Amino acid sequence: MLALGGAAAVAGLGGCVGTGDPNAADDSAGDGGNDMAAKATGWAWDVAAKSLDLTDEPYEKRANGNADVTIEQYGHDALVDKFKSALLSGSGAPDFSILESVVAPSFIGTGGLRDLSDRISDAGLKSAFVSGKWEAITGEDGGVYALPWDIGPVGVFYRRDVYEAHGIDPSSIETWEQYVEAGRKLPDDVFMGNLPPNDLAGVWRMQFRQLGGEPFTADGAVNVHSEASVRVARHIRDLEEAGIVANMQSWSSSWFSAYGEGKIASLPAGAWMEGTLRDSLPKTSGKWGVYALPAFETGGNRATNWGGSNLCIPKQTDDAVANRAWDYVKFALSTPEMQNEMYEKYGIFPALKAAYDADLYGAKVDFFGGQRIRRIFAELSADIPGYRFTADTPEVTEAMGTHLQRMLDGKYGPKEAVTKAAEQVAERTDRDLA
Amino acid sequence: MREADRREGVWQFLTYTFLLAAVALTLVPIYWMVVAASLPQPAFLSYPPRFLPGTEFLANLDALQGRLDFLRSVGNSVLIAVVYTLLSMLLCSMAGFAFAKYEFRFKEPIFYGILATLVLPIQLLVIPLFLLMVRFGWTNTYQAIILPWAANPIGIFLMRQNMKKIPDALLESARMDGATEFQLFYRIALPTMKSSLAALAIILFLFQWNLFLYPLVVLQEESMYTIPVAFAQLVGFQRVYYDQIMVAATISILPIFALFLALQKQFVSGILAGSLKE
Repeated sequence: MLALGGAAAVAGLGGCVGTGDPNAADDSAGDGGNDMAAKATGWAWDVAAKSLDLTDEPYEKRANGNADVTIEQYGHDALVDKFKSALLSGSGAPDFSILESVVAPSFIGTGGLRDLSDRISDAGLKSAFVSGKWEAITGEDGGVYALPWDIGPVGVFYRRDVYEAHGIDPSSIETWEQYVEAGRKLPDDVFMGNLPPNDLAGVWRMQFRQLGGEPFTADGAVNVHSEASVRVARHIRDLEEAGIVANMQSWSSSWFSAYGEGKIASLPAGAWMEGTLRDSLPKTSGKWGVYALPAFETGGNRATNWGGSNLCIPKQTDDAVANRAWDYVKFALSTPEMQNEMYEKYGIFPALKAAYDADLYGAKVDFFGGQRIRRIFAELSADIPGYRFTADTPEVTEAMGTHLQRMLDGKYGPKEAVTKAAEQVAERTDRDLA
Repeated sequence: MREADRREGVWQFLTYTFLLAAVALTLVPIYWMVVAASLPQPAFLSYPPRFLPGTEFLANLDALQGRLDFLRSVGNSVLIAVVYTLLSMLLCSMAGFAFAKYEFRFKEPIFYGILATLVLPIQLLVIPLFLLMVRFGWTNTYQAIILPWAANPIGIFLMRQNMKKIPDALLESARMDGATEFQLFYRIALPTMKSSLAALAIILFLFQWNLFLYPLVVLQEESMYTIPVAFAQLVGFQRVYYDQIMVAATISILPIFALFLALQKQFVSGILAGSLKE
């Protein structure tokens, strides 16, 4: 194994593409020496696993057959539970794994992940990714525990045919007010949008971030009842009261069929939604379009983010194996060609800035009726405000979900809803209220 | 027709109407599951829904098997649940017999101590148990799933309550006839417990059959997955494989269905006649 590892490291020198210093893995492995194992196994879910599979072969070819990387595919919740248990118990973790930004701080908090900051700075990768990515994967000790993978610049995916049939021009929708107005043109059995009862918190977070809201202040106080948050809650209630939105669980079969049949006309979501639509609703190809998220006021910010992941390496992984895992992770995530192949095939939008220069971004996309949607997302990605994720973000998600639902049920108003949510978070996490 | 007969007829009509409605409520989701398992995913997601079976059952099963070896998971689940149920029935009824019919030091504290473990949620036990299995070198094995709950507190409680009803005189007379203590348990006590044992079997089997988080953490290889663990792999982040899920669900209720059919007689007679037939 050791001999093989050495050979692989040398092979790496010849064919390293676009990762800056090809020797980085060897130099930076201060705690692990220069050995590089041949095999490394990683975990990811559905589309992410398939995306990594795309990079697997080019990577092994580059290593002249001295590397053997395996990607194991898990269900989403299954992976989260299994990985967290493995980190907490110090046993059973893979050599590298997908790590969602939204839950990253709680995984870092287990103390089971490797600090990759030396490797990242040695490879010169700190400025290679969009800036908003680092906050979620930086620990309280300042260590960086993952390498950024994808982001979810938000756009409104819409059914072009439905909009056209009812005289709605997407280019005229610049504010949420105009979005509601447009929704009123649709007949009673067709909805402009959807408020998923299972993910109201996601809807809220995306718009809160659009307004530049921060769920926690710099010194850690709970701030989900700020003026921006009240505005978002009020807006969510207005959408509901205008009668232009459906209330379907996202990813449920009825949700899919409503979009498939054009019974819901718009779907604000991260760029990655493209992959879901292509895969589950192939018959709707050509009938979709994308426009930037409406602003809260004329001329307001239209860029925000929904979702996004990273790759991390557990501490319990052997040093030599971690070196191999890092070498692979670096290749897969910081090579523009690899990132763009993932985007083209599976809709995973790169956090890697160099990727956006490719021709791909100017190309027409058939699924979207020939619209050049990738350019839209690439341009939006530059304007996404930062966001402070913490280990207590899951508490925020739960509290907002609960209290926004109660608001929609008519139990109380927007201001009260976000205040109750803030109080719940503060109480459960022992934090102050801002 | 006499008045009483007519009234009875009306009652019967109402009873059967109610029962039919209840049966329909129970069967429609199962029917829909079977239908959905035989439809291609786009047809499943179409609106209005289709209520007639399609022809894609085998194709969906093929896709499922392509994702992971689900039939192997069914085999794993059946093996684990059967071995677990038999072993646990033996342990629970022996312990129940001891707590019901013997006097020994610290009997009460031990019994209530066992009951107290019921308040510990499985989530809390997963990581310590996992570490224990790592130390034993038992990760990814059947025994790691079977043994930790083999002495099941609910089972012990259930058997103790029921075995208390066995008359002491019966045991005493057998003892006088020269039966050993094990014979008392095996030849005298157990045969009176048939319906309780049937209920216990169903409880234990379902407990093991549905166990999810612990096997998810302990079983490392796909070839060892139980049904719930295999299931969880079908709900992705961006994709939900409904066609495969429905096939998997349809297959996975068959063993439970068979178990209920097999134990139905004891189960029902137990409810009707009580647990002691003298």
